[in-house]
Amino acid sequence: MCGASSPDALCKRAKELGYSGLALTDRNTLSGMWDFLHSCKRHRLKPVIGAELVHADLDAPLVCLVKDAGGYANLCNVITVLKDSRKTLNLEYLQEFQNGLIFLSSSPVFLEAGRKNGLDIAADLGCRPTAKSRLLYRWAKASGVPAVAGTAAVIAGENSRQLFALLQAIGKKTVFSMADRKNREDPVFLEHPSVYEKRFSVWPGVTAAADTLAGRCTFSGPDSGIVMPPWNNRGNTASAVLRTVAYEGACRRYGTDLSEVVVERLEYELQVIHDMGFSSYFLVVRDIVQRAHASTSCGSSRICGRGSGAASLVAYCLQITNVCPVKHNLYFERFLNPGRTDPPDIDIDFAWDMRDGVLDQVLHEHGKHAAMVSTLIRFGPRMAIRETARAFGLASGEIARVSRRLSGLHLRKGKTLATAVRDLPSLQGRELPSPWADVIDLASQLIGIPRCLSVHPGGVVITPDPVCSYVPVERAVKGVPVIQWDKDGAEEAGLVKIDLLGNRSLGVIRDAIESVRINGTAFDEEYWNPEEDPKTRRTVAQGKTMGCFYIESPAMRLLQQKAGTGDFEQLVLQSSIIRPAANEFVREYVRRLHGGKWQHLHPKLAEVLDETFGLMVYQEDVSRVAVALAGFSHVRADGLRKVMSKKDKVLRLEHYRDAFAAGCAANGVEKETEEKLWQMMMSFDGYSFCKPHSASYARVSFQAAYLKTHYPAEFMAAVLSNQGGYYSTFAYVSEAKRLGLVIQHPCVQSSTIRWQGKGMCLRVGLMAVRGLSRELMKRIVQSRGEKPFTCSLDFWQRVFPARDEAKALIDSGALDTIAKRANRTVLFWEFSQVRHLAGARRSSPLFPVQLPVPPALRDPAKKELFRREYRVLGFLCESHPLLLCNKRIKGRIRAVDCAGYEGRSVSFAGWLLSGKLVSTKSGEVMEFLTFEDESGVLETTFFPRVYRRYASLLMPEVLYLLQGTVEVEYGAVTLTVKTVRRL
Amino acid sequence: MRDRSIIHLNVTDFAVAVERLQDNSLREKAVIVAPLQAARALVYDMSEEAYGDGVRKGMRLDIAMRRCRKACVLMPEISRYRQAMQAVLGQVCAYTPLVERGEEDGHLFLDVTGTHRLFGPPQDIAWRLRKQVLANLGLDPVWSLASSKLVSKVASRMARPLGECIVGHGEEAEFLAPLSLSLLPGIKPAERRLMQDFNLRSIGELAALSRVQLRVPFQKRADFLHDISRGRDRSLVLPERNGTSRIVCEYHFDTDICERRVLTDTLTPLIHDIGRELRRRGHVGQRIGIRLFYSDGRSVVRQASCRGGSDNDFRLRELALAALNRAWQRRTRIRSCILICDRLLPRSRQQTLFSMQSKKEEQQGRMLAAMDTICHRFGRNAVRLGTS
Repeated sequence: MCGASSPDALCKRAKELGYSGLALTDRNTLSGMWDFLHSCKRHRLKPVIGAELVHADLDAPLVCLVKDAGGYANLCNVITVLKDSRKTLNLEYLQEFQNGLIFLSSSPVFLEAGRKNGLDIAADLGCRPTAKSRLLYRWAKASGVPAVAGTAAVIAGENSRQLFALLQAIGKKTVFSMADRKNREDPVFLEHPSVYEKRFSVWPGVTAAADTLAGRCTFSGPDSGIVMPPWNNRGNTASAVLRTVAYEGACRRYGTDLSEVVVERLEYELQVIHDMGFSSYFLVVRDIVQRAHASTSCGSSRICGRGSGAASLVAYCLQITNVCPVKHNLYFERFLNPGRTDPPDIDIDFAWDMRDGVLDQVLHEHGKHAAMVSTLIRFGPRMAIRETARAFGLASGEIARVSRRLSGLHLRKGKTLATAVRDLPSLQGRELPSPWADVIDLASQLIGIPRCLSVHPGGVVITPDPVCSYVPVERAVKGVPVIQWDKDGAEEAGLVKIDLLGNRSLGVIRDAIESVRINGTAFDEEYWNPEEDPKTRRTVAQGKTMGCFYIESPAMRLLQQKAGTGDFEQLVLQSSIIRPAANEFVREYVRRLHGGKWQHLHPKLAEVLDETFGLMVYQEDVSRVAVALAGFSHVRADGLRKVMSKKDKVLRLEHYRDAFAAGCAANGVEKETEEKLWQMMMSFDGYSFCKPHSASYARVSFQAAYLKTHYPAEFMAAVLSNQGGYYSTFAYVSEAKRLGLVIQHPCVQSSTIRWQGKGMCLRVGLMAVRGLSRELMKRIVQSRGEKPFTCSLDFWQRVFPARDEAKALIDSGALDTIAKRANRTVLFWEFSQVRHLAGARRSSPLFPVQLPVPPALRDPAKKELFRREYRVLGFLCESHPLLLCNKRIKGRIRAVDCAGYEGRSVSFAGWLLSGKLVSTKSGEVMEFLTFEDESGVLETTFFPRVYRRYASLLMPEVLYLLQGTVEVEYGAVTLTVKTVRRL
Repeated sequence: MRDRSIIHLNVTDFAVAVERLQDNSLREKAVIVAPLQAARALVYDMSEEAYGDGVRKGMRLDIAMRRCRKACVLMPEISRYRQAMQAVLGQVCAYTPLVERGEEDGHLFLDVTGTHRLFGPPQDIAWRLRKQVLANLGLDPVWSLASSKLVSKVASRMARPLGECIVGHGEEAEFLAPLSLSLLPGIKPAERRLMQDFNLRSIGELAALSRVQLRVPFQKRADFLHDISRGRDRSLVLPERNGTSRIVCEYHFDTDICERRVLTDTLTPLIHDIGRELRRRGHVGQRIGIRLFYSDGRSVVRQASCRGGSDNDFRLRELALAALNRAWQRRTRIRSCILICDRLLPRSRQQTLFSMQSKKEEQQGRMLAAMDTICHRFGRNAVRLGTS
């Protein structure tokens, strides 16, 4: 937390001051190297790569500068050792890795030892002459060691001082106060070369020595080309093995009599893979998947190969992916094409609770040759405000209150953070007291600055040599080795990344199928084809997909209702067309789907966009249109597609914009058409999917929808047990009730830790009771397994929960079945008596305990019991909060009846479930909110004016009375809200 | 022990009542007293009307204003409230020397046991006092009469905002039984939550439990709860005495602060006040404690002590800063601080055979004595120690 100036700011300042080169020596890391190299290139500076080593074994910071490629590998090794707390960084170790490195130190002890051991050393005199540096200078002169003046700058200019102080306060978890400045050291900033010349004029030659030192460092960045994961060939070439296993897999997938189409495609893909040297990569990924299958108890794990890799038939045959690229016409060139220079990656989803095991397996097997990719966490607007507020000493409760209202905070072009916060609808009418204005002002300077290094959710690199010879490796908090670069850095260095990610829905599907089998129904996955099941298609077409992977969001459910098709092909298209900047195309798609007239913007697009109704839907459509109309090469068109997803795309897009316009003009495309097409391309801003990815996801969606349709209890139990869906537990429980399921209270006699579904009953799992420790849940299940509980006293004595846990169990109704007519208040008294008698002792007494007769305590009113149940469960098993509302609501329309009020103004009382903020074309904020009542779910639209007025009122899981107009579009019902009142 | 007669006199919303004396137009209006110039002001006091709208003491002013938009906000005038409190005290002191007062909050307990022959029955005293305070000061206090401080306080709570309440001897349990537990003082928040868990709503429901039963959930506090639920309270009315065993100074920041320097600058005059008081009494303090109140409501106390004690401001400051270093460990702003000097000992008048004091300390002692003289003559702020 010392870097208040970005590498770019430092380079820019250095260029302004007339420097010809610059050395970036971050402390114990090379994380900023790629930014630094790009900035040096941009500002035409000579980069010098290095690092400042700070370690308990070193008596002063040691600066290492890289002379050549060997030195770079050595520096990576040295930093890796330094980051390993189990190892000591001594001179012998440095001696081993000294080649190609220059060591700068201000420690006479180190320098003397280094000189004797033949290290390439220089005395670091710092940025100004001091008494200490005078001694060092004399020693260097006497010993013949070069003495070098440095800048020791940590910030680019004086104006970053305040930011530096703030970063220090955040890093050290202290309070930021400019009033206490005199207690701190001021940061050193970069000054003009003449300043250093003048300062060091007493010691001639020390500034020139710095130039000489920089001249010796000729290394300008690593250049290893594409670094493929190694595959142990066992005598055969990787390509030959891949061919064999691909054909074997094809026979498994399609039968032994392979069609000509399949063979042709396989041959083509195998040739491209061979030519590009990717055979070993495929085999390594196949090994990972096979090992994951083997490690599961049933011998087959649930995986979903996704991303552009799903377009490969080879990957499909190797069982890395699940969607047939031939059947669904998936574009292989999106994944691999001969012109592609960057490494493609294969992404594989595993069930979320399996992912760590798979990663451990890979890291264990490949040892030093594998590490995870890091993620550089930067300060975003909300994090910056939160951290600055903490540094200002604001109470955490106050920070949380303000922070909750910043959920829609996004910085737009030309808008300051203060303006963005002021304009937030959720803060309308709320004046933030002092010092919030100062907090926000200072926080704006933090945005974009790196905060810490975290671990990428699943990115792994596997290298032929130990990873630490390509990039420094450190241990993450959770113990895995992690490289100091994020995925972009790894890509720059040519390290091929394999993404092994966790997916909750795969866990849901796995658990639901397992429950179905446990409940006595045979389930054959081999011939399971949910896409062809009419009932499942109806579920999808009606948008009844809450809980189903990727198609449960309100936007997706509404789109399915409007489309009303429910078929696989359309679902693939729909899951791709729903993206932030494509609202108008979604509407146009629905219109065309329902037979609205349309024609291609240009006849040449017929081949490309026929299956998507003339609209660009998939990522590859951008490339294909550019090839078809502007005459782009495949490589260039792929570059255009890639640049869309980059953060710093503005400049690079301008270049593509001109080329696209010129290409279209050359091909005789009208200017107006070209502009429309470009606008459509711009709708891919932010995230978007390629078709193979959408198809992979759509398959998982259909599997989930099938299980929900045919086995609702098992499916909903799996959704609730795996947690982490789009909606809250409350919403899923309501959905279960709408499916006709009976929600049974948690019960210490029959509940397991997870939810259970059977027939039309859903038993709440112990995990749903807030405040229960994992140990207690296990204790309950284990004790019950030994012998069922005979009464509540037996339960208390055998399980002995903590006070809060006992209260939670009682309030949730988990002890009602063994209460023997005692009410819940008396149960809690009984627990208190047991606790009082036993004290802190946890062992069972020798003789049965006789409790005195409890006092005649009454149970609270029914409403209070419900309130307590809601507090510990987050939902009500037998009722709905709306039915408990004190106020009687006259004339309210229920959600299920809304369709009959099309175009009319109605009152609707609903419980707020979730919301999605969006921006209009003019940049105004509006929100789509989902409410539910006891009859169903209703999607609502809050246009900007209404949203601004009521945003500060809206909190999740609260009852509101809405007034607005019912709108029905292609069968999908929404409410356009006019007024809101909290009930 | 014979039956006692304790009067509880309470000028409700004391600060607002004093302000209304100054400005008649404030009557019937919602009033909030809070330091307006402070950036993050907190409510010091509020009128009954504002209370009804949800305003509470210690609430942030901006939140209070959202709850009661029509409220008129006034700056707190602590010296005026202190003066008014002193004036009320002056009115009651004629009846009994046993008067216990709160800080400037309008609460007074009077033990009038045994004054019957002098002033008549206790209820007459209370009546007279109320009329006297109203006539002489314009303040209309609520009063109550009971056999203990506890019951008289509950009775005042019942009577407010205007009126009186008398609880006869032996009627305490009967009086308390139907009342809500929220009116009973002395119950800790955790105990209150536990009572809710057992669905105990009224004082009578608590009183229905035996001591043995109460020990089940409340352990050591069972006897105390058992007594107060029946209106039994033997605590004495403690009049303010000079020469208590400790000296306390308090400072509330208008705006909560996070700068260490501001806090140390604030401590300096407080230390000077303590030092001056020690020298006036002829005492030395062996221990300095500091209690910091954070803006999130939490507080922390830490102490530093020295053998033999000291009345030297410079030495006391060292101790205070050491205590501060131990106390301020959290990353949260400070709302107020209390400096406590205790373990007081009389300063030895006897000279030591071999002087233990350094020359510097002797000089400091002489300087502090001179400062005390100046402050005594020209006011406590006439001369101060500076900080660099």
